[in-house]
Amino acid sequence: MKKWLTVLLTALLAISLTACGTTAEKTKVTFADAGWDSIKFHNEVAIFIGENAFDLEGEQTSGTSTILISAMESGDLDVYMEMWTDNIASYDQDIAEGKYKELGLNFGDNAQGFYVSRYVIEGDASRGIEAMALDLKTVADLAKYSDVFEDSDDPSKGRIYGAISGWQVDTIMRNKVDFYGLDEFYNYIDPGSEAALAASISAAYEKGEPIVSYYWEPTWITGKYDLVLLEDAPYDPNLYPEGKSACPSTEVTVCVSNDFYEKQPEYSEFLSKYHTSSALTAEALYYMQENDASYVDTVKWFLGEHDELLEQWLPADKAELVRKALD
Amino acid sequence: MPDWFLHFPEKIHINIVDPIDKAIHYVLIHWDAFFDGLKKVMGAFINAIGRVVDLIPWWLMILAVMFLTYRMTKKINRSVVYAALMFFIGTLGLWDLMYQTLTIIIASVIVSLLIGFPLGIFVASSKRADAFVRPILDTMQTMPSFVYLIPAVMLLGTGNIPALLATTIYAVPPIIRMTSHGIRQVNSEVVEAAKAFGSTKAQTLFKVQIPQAMPTIMTGVNQTIMMAIAMVVTSSMIGARGLGSEVMIGINRLESGRGFAAGIAIVIVAIVMDRLTQGIYKQKEQEKL
Repeated sequence: MKKWLTVLLTALLAISLTACGTTAEKTKVTFADAGWDSIKFHNEVAIFIGENAFDLEGEQTSGTSTILISAMESGDLDVYMEMWTDNIASYDQDIAEGKYKELGLNFGDNAQGFYVSRYVIEGDASRGIEAMALDLKTVADLAKYSDVFEDSDDPSKGRIYGAISGWQVDTIMRNKVDFYGLDEFYNYIDPGSEAALAASISAAYEKGEPIVSYYWEPTWITGKYDLVLLEDAPYDPNLYPEGKSACPSTEVTVCVSNDFYEKQPEYSEFLSKYHTSSALTAEALYYMQENDASYVDTVKWFLGEHDELLEQWLPADKAELVRKALD
Repeated sequence: MPDWFLHFPEKIHINIVDPIDKAIHYVLIHWDAFFDGLKKVMGAFINAIGRVVDLIPWWLMILAVMFLTYRMTKKINRSVVYAALMFFIGTLGLWDLMYQTLTIIIASVIVSLLIGFPLGIFVASSKRADAFVRPILDTMQTMPSFVYLIPAVMLLGTGNIPALLATTIYAVPPIIRMTSHGIRQVNSEVVEAAKAFGSTKAQTLFKVQIPQAMPTIMTGVNQTIMMAIAMVVTSSMIGARGLGSEVMIGINRLESGRGFAAGIAIVIVAIVMDRLTQGIYKQKEQEKL
């Protein structure tokens, strides 16, 4: 019995050794997976291109954005595909001090602010939902409808699901609530985390209940559910921090660690040209949600649909390699 | 070498993802009224406890800790140290947040004991129940809590209410285990003797078995409290207020100092509660001797 066990273990060991030997020594690139869908999608696009055109091997490390950023500073993490610059308090300073390198703009045409589901304003006959707040258009209008968005813990007021505490935008949203005098009618609730906020919106939408919450796009939430961004005064850089104007589009940049930038100039060159848009990202996320597709399948579909991107991003020979891998 | 030898064959695939999603979705839509009711009950319960906790002024709380520690340990220097530690939380500016955290801990410990104690007695009475409950308890304790946090938010919203549920799921196993363990461990001759004197089953249970098992049960209570404290930070991810959310803010902003300050406060709460409850059962044990 013992002998057989030894033979079996030796065999397994031999097999695993040969199996390891067949996977060649490719350079590993670590991507930041900060948890939301669009960053995972962009990671997979960059990994797909890296593996097929640059002979690199990609892997993702998950964590919260701040922890991932400090990992990038120390060189443990190579690439961060979506730096939401306005949400990172120390971003400008970090770049100025050269803690990591900004390569280029991934997309900058996004939005954030207070959202309500469209059926709250317009009703939805197909689901038998009547309009609850016909004249709700702007953030200031919320003052009239606090009874629609009733806070179940405190029925005398309405409830606004706020941004995640600790994010820079949370302070701004709190200021906004105060500025429009909404604090008199509403409780501003801290959802605790992105997942909890998404779950709250999703649950309310599925039940056809009214909800007003902070959110941002592109996300699968804004792709899947029909949400309306409440209007606000036009963006003004001076008034915005006090919550008196709409949020600007945040610049979402691609960053790499200093170390990586030096070691992989060719791939960094590609990343610096990596430019998409909010609409393109939402399109891909929607395709994935709708078809229940994996990230890799979505990437293949996406690059097949948008061949022009390959031309913009890559030199002709590399683009050809990627095209070959798509077939 | 065939592919199936090295890699698990993809063809053998059981889909439990979709059925679970569908089940949660079904419950979300169709049990709405039930969860709304549950939400109200749990909310009222937490608020009631919160109000009681808020009634205690800070100096009374510190004096109470001092007095109780002295009663439990009969050591004056220890009671002074614990009182000083509590005072320290106040000096960190975290007193009100500590009360909020304490509210959730107390609420979930009460719920855990209300569920766990009777269940523990029941499990002790039957081998079959034990065999059935044990794997469930193991699952509850090892299942990563994030897995049930999100369904809890979908059904109960964000804030203290789902936090109470999640904390209870995590904190209830020790009290069930230790209650049942304690009762089983009572010397069978003692139980025989009680029966021989004509005790009914209920009398044997309440007058002999449970008092004899009390030190073990109190260990369970102590563990339940510790588990509830361990969930403080996790439950702040679904909007529970208190020291946990302070830790989260520290993480979200990379403010290590802020995180540590709140973390230290949690440690102090844990130490004080641990020593106090340990004191109770050590005292009980000494009385027995």
